[in-house]
Amino acid sequence: MQTQTATTREITYAQAIQEALDQAMGLCDDVIVMGQLVDYKSGIFGTTTGLVEKYGKNRVLDMPVAEAMMTSAAGGAALAGLRPVVVHQRLDFMLYSMDAIVNWISLWYFKSNGESRMPLTIRAITGKGWGQGPQHSKSFHAFFAHIPGLRVAMPSTAFDAKGLLLESILGENPTFIIEGRSLFSMKDEVPEIPYRVRFGEGKIMKSGKDVTLVAIGTFVPLAMRAAFDLLKNGIDVEVIDPRTLSPFDNALVCESVAKTGRLVVVDPGWNFSGFSAEVVAGVVEQVGSVLKANPIRVTLPDSHTPMSMSLESQYYPDEQRLSDTITKLMRQNGL
Amino acid sequence: MQNFSSINMKAGINTIPLGSVPEDTAIALYKAMLRVRMIEEALISEYHPADEIRCPVHFCLGQEAVSAALSFLVKDEDYIFSHHRSHGYYLGKNAPLRALFSELYGRETGANGGKAGSQDISYSDKHFYSGAILSGATSISVGTAFALKYKKLPYAAIAGFGEGATDEGVFWETVNFAALHSLPLLLICENNYYATYSPMSKRMAVENIAQKVGAFGGKNHSVFGNDILSVYMSISNALEEIRSGGGPVFIEVFTYRNNSHVGPEDDSYIGYRSAEEMAFWKANDPIVLIEEKLGADMIARLRPGFEHDIKTEIDDAFKFAKESAFPATSDWQMLNYHPETPLADSLLKEFASGNFNQDQKDHIPGPY
Repeated sequence: MQTQTATTREITYAQAIQEALDQAMGLCDDVIVMGQLVDYKSGIFGTTTGLVEKYGKNRVLDMPVAEAMMTSAAGGAALAGLRPVVVHQRLDFMLYSMDAIVNWISLWYFKSNGESRMPLTIRAITGKGWGQGPQHSKSFHAFFAHIPGLRVAMPSTAFDAKGLLLESILGENPTFIIEGRSLFSMKDEVPEIPYRVRFGEGKIMKSGKDVTLVAIGTFVPLAMRAAFDLLKNGIDVEVIDPRTLSPFDNALVCESVAKTGRLVVVDPGWNFSGFSAEVVAGVVEQVGSVLKANPIRVTLPDSHTPMSMSLESQYYPDEQRLSDTITKLMRQNGL
Repeated sequence: MQNFSSINMKAGINTIPLGSVPEDTAIALYKAMLRVRMIEEALISEYHPADEIRCPVHFCLGQEAVSAALSFLVKDEDYIFSHHRSHGYYLGKNAPLRALFSELYGRETGANGGKAGSQDISYSDKHFYSGAILSGATSISVGTAFALKYKKLPYAAIAGFGEGATDEGVFWETVNFAALHSLPLLLICENNYYATYSPMSKRMAVENIAQKVGAFGGKNHSVFGNDILSVYMSISNALEEIRSGGGPVFIEVFTYRNNSHVGPEDDSYIGYRSAEEMAFWKANDPIVLIEEKLGADMIARLRPGFEHDIKTEIDDAFKFAKESAFPATSDWQMLNYHPETPLADSLLKEFASGNFNQDQKDHIPGPY
């Protein structure tokens, strides 16, 4: 990969998103941002702050509380040459627009036989903690990744948030960026220049030789903390962040498992029919014979999200649970 | 012309006189309607028993007026978004007949290479799009209208749909947004009174759709949809207003579907429409009405030539479709994603990321 040297500095995940939007709008007049409350000072947790002052109300559009139309309209605008970024402060509200997403936008390129396309980006934020409860916390990444014609990214770091968002806005396919609210204040080294993170290229966040830990979205930081903790006990975990779920870098995961012989997936989604199952299946189908132990999935329970703090802390896995799971796996005999 | 009181038709069956448009325009509109009619009849007669058209087709016999009018009023740069009863709109956007027939036959020369069929057909070069889920294409059209205004282009987005589409919530979200931003959008509701078999009276407390649109701030007109001259004038005026920046216009066009909801078979055995009602609309068929206006002598002089021209075109389209190859086996991934990223390639740099610092806590949101 041809890389540039450029100035980097530490900024938060939210600032990285804001910077990506700002730079995309600066680079291309066709980029517009649309969503409820995008033009207020609070700016969707700071991710759209300052854009309306710079680019005007015609490019930073507060929208009626009409998610279905909003998503359809973004598709129609994209068709006529714009590059809309639709923003949903809570992913759960976006579900009103499932017809637009599933029946229209995802299959537009297909049914036009490649003649027509809708380059649009949907930013959807998944809540976690402070009692967000069952209507403010859903992620649905497995569902969106299931649909042909959509690309799905779940950036876990500020670096990836900016690069994937720019790649999406200036790309040619309809794309979901599922952002974890719990990541918004986390910092990372981010270049000032507009750069790209390509879809379908996972990243080895920490290399290791004993066990492959595939961590998705909001669970990447906890996977990293657990991995460094386990190093103190002599367990060397390789952490892989696929970064995009569609397309998914199965080759990178398989290469890692071929080396470690063990697989754990930590996924902020439901277990049954979840993305974690897809990761396991991809490995088993390609390199199943190298496995020294049964793969393990650490996920949310097959339940909606509770509000109460005491239940919430049981609902979401933490570093301890992940570390214990991996320790137990290492003690297990081979297959 | 007869009256038929059981049809709730706010526009009445008013027609406007022949002199309202130049005679050659009236004749051209007549020929355009006859073309749609003959094309649909030819497809109906070919559908069975050949069974080579293997997709659901919603024919539009009796509803030819809107598409005929549009074919003379749209510009290539305008966009048309049609519902599932798409053939009229496809022809109204002046897209090629061969590609339509070939698409219905599922051939590689079809408008969409056999991916879409009748109810999902599009023809991008002419900015024509359609789809089967009610109001879906209509709600997309409002974004296209926004883009046209954003780019300061003097063109219109046009959505054609039935009154059934107005049962959908997203339809009203669309009307609201178009009115709020004064967008160049023409909404044409072909009110044929039935959503498949279900009449408006079973589905709506208030049946006056134009009035409901008015409550959202949209300009609205109602017109007797089987009088081609009324439809033509109404759409012509609306497009002029829209192109000059006047904002969206809604036209409710009262018309009737003479054929079944879908397919060539007769669905009258279901008994959802009375014989009396169907006879009324047959007597007030748009082609019958314009022929009455143009006069028997003129029709006798013109019709044989028109029919000959149209039949020649239809025969050619059938031959083209049937002789075309089926699509080759596909690379499925390639069908669903555009493979290139020219803009990102030109504007974005490559940059390898550094190491993420794991020694930081997750963010716990506040109450909002």
